[in-house]
Amino acid sequence: MNFATYIGRRLLFIAPQLLGIVLVSFLLIKTIPGDPAVLMLGPTATPEAIASLRAKMGLDQPIFTQFLFYVKALLHGDLGTSWQTTRPVLEDLFQRFPATVELVTFGLLTAIAIGVPLGLASAVHPKGWIARFADFYGLSAGAVPDFWLALVFIYVFYTLLGWLPPPLGRIDLAIIPPATVTGIYTIDTLIAGDWEAFASAASHLILPVATLGLINAGPILKMTQATVERMLQSDFSHFEVLSGMPRGMVIRSALRNSLPSVITIIGVLYGFLIGGAVLVEIVFSWGGAGQYAVQGVLNSDIYPVMGFVLFSAIFSLIVYLVVDLIYFAIDPRIGH
Amino acid sequence: MNALAGEANGPANSVRETSAVPLLAVRGLRVEFPAAMGPNKVVLQDISLSLLPGEIIGVVGESGAGKTTLARSLLGLPPVPSRVTAGEIVFRGSDLRKLKESELQRMRGKDLSMVVPNPRGELNPLLTIGRQIATIAQVHLSIGRKEAREKALDMLKAVQIPDPTRRFDAYPHELSGGMAQRVVIAMALVCSPGFVISDDATSGLDVTVQAQILDLMRTLAEKQRSAMLFITRDVGITAHFCDRVAVIYAGQIMEVAPRQAFFFAPSHPYTIMLLAAFSHSADLRRRWTVPDVRRRALPGGRGCSYVDRCPLAQGKCRTEDPPFVELTPGHFSRCHFPVVR
Repeated sequence: MNFATYIGRRLLFIAPQLLGIVLVSFLLIKTIPGDPAVLMLGPTATPEAIASLRAKMGLDQPIFTQFLFYVKALLHGDLGTSWQTTRPVLEDLFQRFPATVELVTFGLLTAIAIGVPLGLASAVHPKGWIARFADFYGLSAGAVPDFWLALVFIYVFYTLLGWLPPPLGRIDLAIIPPATVTGIYTIDTLIAGDWEAFASAASHLILPVATLGLINAGPILKMTQATVERMLQSDFSHFEVLSGMPRGMVIRSALRNSLPSVITIIGVLYGFLIGGAVLVEIVFSWGGAGQYAVQGVLNSDIYPVMGFVLFSAIFSLIVYLVVDLIYFAIDPRIGH
Repeated sequence: MNALAGEANGPANSVRETSAVPLLAVRGLRVEFPAAMGPNKVVLQDISLSLLPGEIIGVVGESGAGKTTLARSLLGLPPVPSRVTAGEIVFRGSDLRKLKESELQRMRGKDLSMVVPNPRGELNPLLTIGRQIATIAQVHLSIGRKEAREKALDMLKAVQIPDPTRRFDAYPHELSGGMAQRVVIAMALVCSPGFVISDDATSGLDVTVQAQILDLMRTLAEKQRSAMLFITRDVGITAHFCDRVAVIYAGQIMEVAPRQAFFFAPSHPYTIMLLAAFSHSADLRRRWTVPDVRRRALPGGRGCSYVDRCPLAQGKCRTEDPPFVELTPGHFSRCHFPVVR
C-alpha cells in the first residue's frame, strides 16, 4: 500500500467521524440544563416573550429536528451565532482558534524540547543524577497545576522583576495587531515585517508557553524514558552491543524504535491541549478558543461550544492523521 | 551416531591443548551474582578452557547451568547484574579482562562474535537486513558504505539466502525464522572473527532448518578458520559438530573430552546421565535416570555440586571438592570416582 492510497483512505473516514462527533456533542450539550432564551432576556422577561424567542431560535422543536437544522446550516458553512458576542461563531473562531493553536503549539514544542532529551538522558544513565532529577521533575510536573505555575511566573517575572509584559492578552495594547493572514501573531507580524509587533507578541507568549511547556514535558519525559529504557533492554539492542556497535549507535537505534510511542503521546497531548490549556488562557487573558467555549458552556450559548468542539475535532483528526503518516514513514511494518 | 565411525584420526584426535598456542584461553573464570542479602551467588566458578584456532568446542548442560552467562562473560558482557570476579580470558595473547570497554567494544563483532537465538527479536525491526549487516562491517573494518554493501551482499550469499540482492532490502519481519537466523549468522561472521560463540542459536528452529544452519556455520567457520564455542542443550548436535565437548553443571565444568571419548568413554556420572537421557536404549535410560531431587543452590561449598543427584556418591563427595583430573590426554573429569572403562 503506498502513501497516497493510505492518506486517501484515512480522509475518507474523516466525514463520518466528524458527523458522529457532531451528533454526540450536540445531544450532550443539549442536555446541559439552562435555557438560553431566559438568559438572553434577563430576569424581568415575560413568559410570552421567552416563548416567542424560543420559537424564533427553534428551541421548541424536537431535539432531532434541531440537530438536522444545525447540520444543514453547517453544510452551508454556518456555525450559528453566539448570542453573547452577537457575531457568527465561525468569525469568532477564526479569530480565537489560531490564538490557542499558537499558544499550544509553542507550548508543546517547548515540552518536547525539555521532555525528549531529558527522558533520553535518564534512560541512558538510569542511575545518574539526570535520571534522579527527571524522576523528581516528572512527579512535580504531574502534581503542580498549570494555572498555579502561571500565577507564580507572573508574580516573579512581571510583578517582581518586571522583565515581561502583564498577562493581558497576546500583544501590547498600544500596538496594532498585524493584518490577519494565519491568525498566528508571531507569523503575521513577520509577514507584515513589523518587528516591534513581533517582539511584543513573542514576549507575551513567553510565560504561557513556558507554563504549558514545563507542565506537559512531564508525560513526554516519562514516555521517552520508559520506552527508550525498554528498547535498550530489548534483544536487538543487546545484539547490537554484542556486535560491538558504538554506544551512540545503540542509543540512536533505541531512540528511533521508541519514536512511535513518543509521537503518540505528543499527538494526544496536542489534541488535548486545545481545550486543556483553558486555565492558562484565562490566567493570561489570552482570548483563545478554549476560553470562548467555556464562556459558552456557562451561558447556555450552544453554538460557540459546538463550533469549538467541531474545530477541535477537525484539529485532532488532522493531528492523528499526521501521527499515522509519521508511523508509516518510520516503521516498515505498518502498511505492508 | 554413525558419523563417528572410523574417525579415529579426525579432528577430535588431531587437536591437543598442548600442541599449539591457543587462540583463546580461559583460566579460573568466576562469575558472581550480587544477592540482595548475604554473600554473592556464584554463577560460574573455576572455568578453564582453551581453544585452538579453528577448533570447535561444544558446551552442553541443562538450562540454568550457566551456559549463556559463560558466553556473555567471554565477550565482557555478563548478564546484568552479574560480574566476573576472578580469572583471565586470554585472547591472542592479551587478557580481555584488562582491556578498556572501548577496546573490547571494537573487538566484539570483529574478532569475537556471537550468534544468538530468537533471531527475529535480535534484529532491529526498523532497518533492512542488508543495512544491518553492512553497518557492522562499516563500523569494524573502517570501510565505505559501498564496500560494506558489497561485503553484506557476499555474506547474504554465503549464508545461502536466495535472491540476496532483493533480500538485502528486506525488513526482519518479512523473513522466516530460518532466514532471520541466517542473517544473524551473517552479522556475526561478516568481519571474519577469529572466535565465534553460538549460544543455542538453532534452538528455535525446526529440525531440518537446524541441520542446514549447523552445516552452514561449520562450513563458514572452517573457511574463515574461526574457532567456535558451541553452546547447546542438545547432545546430538555436539556429536556431529564439535571437536571437543565440555559438560557444564551448576556453573562448573564437569568434564572436558575429545568427541570420541565423550561419546564412547564418558567418565563423569553427570555426563553419563546426559548421554543416557538421549539414548535409544531403554535399559540405559532406566539405569541412569536422574533422581528427582533439588539441585544444591550454591556451588562452591565443600564437596561436589552434583552429589545429591549422583548414583555413585560416597561420603567423600560431600566433604571434599572433587579434583579436575586428566584421565587420558585431553580428557578431564571433575569427579572423585570417575567411571573408567
